[in-house]
Order: sequence, then structure tokens, then C-alpha cells
Amino acid sequence: MKELTYQDVNKDVLRPLFTPDYAYLGVLTLTLIVLGLGGLCWVYQLIYGLGVAGYHPPVYWGVYITTFVFWVGIGHAGTLISAVLFLTRSRWRTGVYRAAEAMTIFAVMTAALFPAIHVGRAWYAYWLFPYPNQRQLWQNFKSPLMWDVFAVSTYFTVSTIFFAIGLIPDIASVRDSTTGFTKKLYSAMALGWRGTDRQWHHYMAAYGFFAALATPLVLSVHSVVSWDFAMADTPGWHSTIFPPYFVAGAIFSGCAMVITLMLPLSLLFKLENYIHVWHFEHLAKLCVFTGGILTYAYGTEYYIAWYSDNQYEWGTFMDRVHGSYWWVFYTMVFCNCTAPLVWWFKKMRTNYISLFVVSLIINVGMWFERFNIIASSLAHSFDPAGWVYYYPTWVEGGILIMSFAWFFLWFLLFVKIMPSVAIAEVKEAMRPPLKFEPEHAAK
Amino acid sequence: MNVAVPLDTAARVSPLKAVYAHMDCLMTGIADLKKAGFTDIMVMTPMPRHEVEEAVYEGEPSPVRWFTLCGAIFGLTMVFSLMSLTSANWPMILPGGKPVVSIPPFIPISFEGMVLWASLFTLIGLLVNCRLPATDLPEEACDPRFSGDCFGIVLERVGAHDAAAIRHILEHSGAIEVSGGVGAGESAPAAHGGHHA
Repeated sequence: MKELTYQDVNKDVLRPLFTPDYAYLGVLTLTLIVLGLGGLCWVYQLIYGLGVAGYHPPVYWGVYITTFVFWVGIGHAGTLISAVLFLTRSRWRTGVYRAAEAMTIFAVMTAALFPAIHVGRAWYAYWLFPYPNQRQLWQNFKSPLMWDVFAVSTYFTVSTIFFAIGLIPDIASVRDSTTGFTKKLYSAMALGWRGTDRQWHHYMAAYGFFAALATPLVLSVHSVVSWDFAMADTPGWHSTIFPPYFVAGAIFSGCAMVITLMLPLSLLFKLENYIHVWHFEHLAKLCVFTGGILTYAYGTEYYIAWYSDNQYEWGTFMDRVHGSYWWVFYTMVFCNCTAPLVWWFKKMRTNYISLFVVSLIINVGMWFERFNIIASSLAHSFDPAGWVYYYPTWVEGGILIMSFAWFFLWFLLFVKIMPSVAIAEVKEAMRPPLKFEPEHAAK
Repeated sequence: MNVAVPLDTAARVSPLKAVYAHMDCLMTGIADLKKAGFTDIMVMTPMPRHEVEEAVYEGEPSPVRWFTLCGAIFGLTMVFSLMSLTSANWPMILPGGKPVVSIPPFIPISFEGMVLWASLFTLIGLLVNCRLPATDLPEEACDPRFSGDCFGIVLERVGAHDAAAIRHILEHSGAIEVSGGVGAGESAPAAHGGHHA
């Protein structure tokens, strides 16, 4: 294969922009239809109230909170890849980090829908934020739910800034290869970027700081999300291992979603020179590692429940295995603990079909993991008289599917209007063109 | 200075641009210009290159870091004050035996506030120091090749006395194109060591 030039990078990465083919338009239309149908489910709930959801006392956290945690978790891989791997100078991040960052932002945007859906009266969602008001009421800042509001909104803001800043040099590349109105639009977005030494000098300093600031957020956000549960004394939730357990799960599911999205992206847009099997293999290794942590955490939970000799705790954990939600538990174990084991074999880590199928299985498993934690604990709490079987209604199912359509819609728009691969960083990782060989130049 | 130019031309200044296709030639051009005393140069690259940064800034750190620090201190102070003052303004009668202003439960939001404001201040620091949106760059710096596969050096204000010397340095360093500069074509190549306009 001939060595890539800087011009090749511009040409290859910018080629898929602006020219939607029939397949793309078909997928976009399908996404819009699903989004519309799911949106109708939400409208139905807004009209008739939360009674149309399957809530059954004492289970008032169900599919919506499960899906919220699922999407926040998905949003972790992007910042992990873009910030943590930037600081550790991992070369393999270069090809995949732009799309992974975009995925992070769209996942958090999707997650942000769910508190509003869950509270029912979505038009009062702004009550979550502190602002001076005539009632002189303020939020309870000692509540983990408030911590979550700040954690997720901070994560979204910082990730968006990080993403937008990373895009500026590449938007300048788009500007320089377009004409007419498109050029004007991208000129405005490029903020006059010309790649001067002054611009790069301060840009790289700022980029390093953004990476350093985003890195602790990767760990903190899902820790805070886990405290939504762990701070309550509900059996099955009140555990100190929740923060690392949730963070590992978030990275696990996020990396799986990166594989799910980027495999078709690289093949359909012919970006194999930039996103190749080497990247997917690294992502698969990361999944194997975090999946191992997750499996260990599942085991630890049971050990703690047994060793504590707390009948409520042990009862809840036994109910997960033998009770009404046994099928949720075994789906979770199969998808998160067993299926990723195939990636211990290099042959399976480098096979596109295996990568795609197992990444889908992991995504399913991680949704069920959150459902297993949330619904089964509430449905089998301290009082046997309060034991119920919560199951989602068609409204909750419709809204769950809507969330996927919402997420994919943003991603589909992104791949057509922004470079999916970081042009400047790919060039930085390449050997620069030299007129003389290094020994000659040294002389 | 060994070049004779007409008086009206000598008083004028204009930008001068060199385009490079090779990194080593660019570095030679920067080094030779600096050696000759022309330090007020603008270097364009399609990607960040540490050797260029080192050659131009010689290890001088970016002041963006001070913005980050100020933002972090501001965010921490502001968010902790918000939580403390609002809690004190609405004291619960029996907050579970805990103090109204309690440090441990305020740590998560204080941390998030610190990171949020540090990021926002870093963004401001970036825009201020990079002078973005950049509307005052010379036209010579706005060559689309600099976001593609070429590197460039632009000297914004080159006097006629120095133009020939600078052109000579740039051409000899391996530039594939040198353009601009007052009196171009009127003067013979000068020896290195001229003064910056």
C-alpha cells in the first residue's frame, strides 16, 4: 500500500461530506420515522401523565432511569479515548477519537432527555437548576440527585467545548476545500483559523488542559451517577463498590458502542486507512479488561451480600437469581461476562463480524445490567408486602426506542457535516515530508 | 545593508510569503531567518509540530495556564459559596444531625464547579491568546495550501532594504514559492544579517 500524503488525508476524510447517497437518505428517513413514533409516545405520556408508564408502588424508577444511566455510560468512552488516551499519548486514539467524542455528546444529549421524561411534567425540569426565585427555595445540595445534575451538565459542557475546540483546525480544512455558501458557513465556524504558530502554540496548551480537566470527569460522572443509588439504603444499592463498578461498566459499554458505530462508518465511508482493524482490536481489548472488572464486581456484590449476613441484602441478591427477574440477570451475565470472552482470541478481535455482533450484545447486556440494579432492587425491598413485578408498558418501550433514534439522528447528521476523522491529528501522527533524509539534513 | 533602492520604495513595507512542501526545508528557513535577525515571523502548518513551536517560542509557556488556574479557583469558590449561603438561608430544622453547611456532601458539586469554570476560563484563554476569531491576519497567511499539504512562513512587514535578503534566505532554504515584498525584482540578493523591518 502506498504511503499516505497530507493531501490524501484531506481528500479521504472530506469525501463523505455533503453528498448523501440513497442508502444514507434511507437510514435517515427511517430514523426520523422511529423518532416521530417514539415522540408520539412521549406526547401521549405528557397528556395522560406518568400513569401510562408501568410504575407500580414502590417501583417508581424503571425504564427511564435505566435508560438515563445507560446513555450516560455510553457517553464515557468518547472522553476516555479523547482525553485520557491523549494524556497517555496512545497513538491508536488518532483515528477514532473524533467520532467517539461526537458519540459522547450525542449520548449525553440523549441521557439528558430522561430526567425530563421521568419527572412527568417536563416543562418544570428547569427546577433542577439553582436560580433565584420568588419562593426563595433552593435545591438540596446534599442530595446525590443534585450532584448528578451538576455532574452531567458539567460533563456535557466540558465535552462539548473539548469537541468543538478539536474541530476548529479541521473545519478550516473543510473551508479551504469548499466554495460558495458552504465556504462562508465553514469560514464562520473556523473562527479565522489559519494554523499559525501563535494559534497552534496556545491551542495545544489549552487542548492539554481540556484533556486534563476532562479526565477526572470520566471517573467522577459515573461515580456520581452510582451514588444516586449507593447513597440510598435500599438493598442491592447500598454498596461502596458502586463507583468503580459503574465507571468500569460505563467504559465497557461506551467502547462497545464505539465499535458498533465506527465499524459501519469506516466501511461505508471507505475510511479503512484511518480507522482500521488495529483500532478495533484495541477497543476490544479495553472491553475485555473492563468486562473483567465488571464480572469481578458482580461476584464481589454477591460475596459482600453473603458475608454481611444481612437478610435483606442477601434476599434481594438471591431474588435477582431465582426471582421474577431471573431472565434479566442471566441476560446480563451472558452479555457482559460470557460473550466478551471470545475477544480473548486475536482472531475474534480482528474479525469484523465478531466485533460487530459482540459489541451489540454488550450494549444489550449493559442496558439489562442497569435494569437489573434499579428495578429488581425496588421490586424486592425490605417489606414483603411491597414486593411487586414491574414491567414496562408500550409507552416506555416506545420512548426507549425513540432515544436510540434521537442518538442515531445526531450521529448521522454529524458524519455528513463534520470530518469524522481528526485531519490535523492524523497528519501529526504521520511522518512529515522531508526533502533530505535525516542523516543528510543533520549535516 | 548593501542594497540600493529608491527612497519612495525604501519607506514602504509589505508582507512576504514563502511556501514549503517539506518540513526540513521549513525548519531551515526558520533557523536561517532567526540567525539573520528576522524574528518577527509567522509560521503556518496544517498540524501542530513541536519542532516549529520550539523554534519559534523556544520553550516559552502559553499563558493559557493562568486562565485555567483562575477559573478553577473562581469555580470552586463560587459554587461552594452558592451551596453554603443558600443552605444557611434555608436552614432545615433537623438535617439528620448534620451541620447546615456540611463539607463532605458539598465536595462533589464543588469539584464539578471547579472543573466547569476552569474549562470555561481555558476557553476564554484560548480565544484571547490565539486572537480568535482571527480577522486581522494578512492575506498571505490565508493560503488554502496551509490547511492541506504545505507549510508557510509569512513576514508581515518587510521593508525594501530587507526584502532581498529575506527572499534569498527563503529561496535557499528550499521554499517552493516566495512571493511579496516591496521592491521584489529591483534588488540583488543580500547577504544574511539584515535588520528586521
